[in-house]
Amino acid sequence: MSVFMDLNLSFCADKSRLRSLIETAAHLGFSTVAVNYTFEPTAKKKQEIPAPMPITDLMDQLPVVQGRSRPIRVLNRLTVVMSDSSHFRPTAPEYRRFDLLAVQPTSEKLFHVACMTLDIDIICITVTEKLPFFFKRAPINGAVERGVMFEVSYAAAIRDATMRRYTIANATSLMETCKGKNVILSSAAEKPLELRGPYDITNLGLLFGLSDGDSKEAVSSTCRSAVLHAETRWTASGIIRTTKTCSVTPIQQEAPPEESDAPAAKKAKLEDE
Amino acid sequence: MVRVKSRYLLCEINVPDRSRLFLLDDRAVAAAVKAAVARMHGDYGAALCSIRFSVKYLNAHTGIVFLRFPKKCYRLLWSALPFITCIETRGQKIECFLNCLHVGGTIRTCQKFLVKYNTQQLHRMLPKCKSEEERSQVREAILKCCLTRGNKQEFGEESDSEDDEEQ
Repeated sequence: MSVFMDLNLSFCADKSRLRSLIETAAHLGFSTVAVNYTFEPTAKKKQEIPAPMPITDLMDQLPVVQGRSRPIRVLNRLTVVMSDSSHFRPTAPEYRRFDLLAVQPTSEKLFHVACMTLDIDIICITVTEKLPFFFKRAPINGAVERGVMFEVSYAAAIRDATMRRYTIANATSLMETCKGKNVILSSAAEKPLELRGPYDITNLGLLFGLSDGDSKEAVSSTCRSAVLHAETRWTASGIIRTTKTCSVTPIQQEAPPEESDAPAAKKAKLEDE
Repeated sequence: MVRVKSRYLLCEINVPDRSRLFLLDDRAVAAAVKAAVARMHGDYGAALCSIRFSVKYLNAHTGIVFLRFPKKCYRLLWSALPFITCIETRGQKIECFLNCLHVGGTIRTCQKFLVKYNTQQLHRMLPKCKSEEERSQVREAILKCCLTRGNKQEFGEESDSEDDEEQ
């Protein structure tokens, strides 16, 4: 059995609230969570893409997951709300700071683009309003083939009765088309009280039209493949990964000032002399 | 011999403020569950929920409840539980959510699971202890349940000692 993941905890500037969110998630038995930063570009003025807060700033010691001996793993995730195709810039260096990249398309055309071409991991399904379009087989099949996941979040359904109707309606129409494949269920919780346990979410999948097996995968193994998909995005065929080490070298230089700069062969020479 | 089959859901009531758990009683929990089911599944759900549903056990110290549902429709009724956001009792609203820990066919299997779960909680509590006195109490409790695991009578004692820590 794979471990449980919740790939959407809403970011809030209040550190203590975010901390209690992560602690509650660990208590409920989620091994991996992702803190979600929503970015909604508007046409009028240029906006900054939010920078993720390093998790070491937030808490010194991550809480231990329920039923396991490991601390919880916290990822960063960016959700771009797309109302125009220019809103997603595939080469933006800001995107590289996030572990996961998600897109929330607001029209059918953008949904098609997101499914077929954009280099992303997750497509969010709108749950707070009635879907302005129908899901079509072709883009969804394309997304399934490329390994892009569809995300349904349930916190809005807990908050309000009208939202609950929209969530269930949109989720059911998605499941009709994608037959339960590549769907993840996540919370989008802003408060710790909006989180639910993994078994409850699995059962909640029943309302969204998922089968038993699919809904269990929706909180565990499908999430895992989304994370792995995100990891391969920054690598060459998932084998080689390049990272800048400039942040590491100053620390090394502090300890032995001269030696670390010289390569191994030169170092040996210096010692000989 | 055929018996009437039920499913027992072992749920944990999570509240931000633990001291408010003492306000709970089983009637309040039952009313909250019934209201949630009626809200989610309408008259049909309410009808199913009136057949053999009951709150079998409530531990106000640790916030553990046993809910009994008919086996035939327990999944439908369970799907309404995540939508409980508060429990009303004695004129007060307690904000909380239910987290299902285990589903069992008999109370016995649920109890076995609960003993295991409570022991696990003691282990989790140990690194969080602040004073030396607390720590020694938790250690003692862990030791006690290691020695007498599976003994029904000791189980009561063990869960009591856990409660001392949480206050």
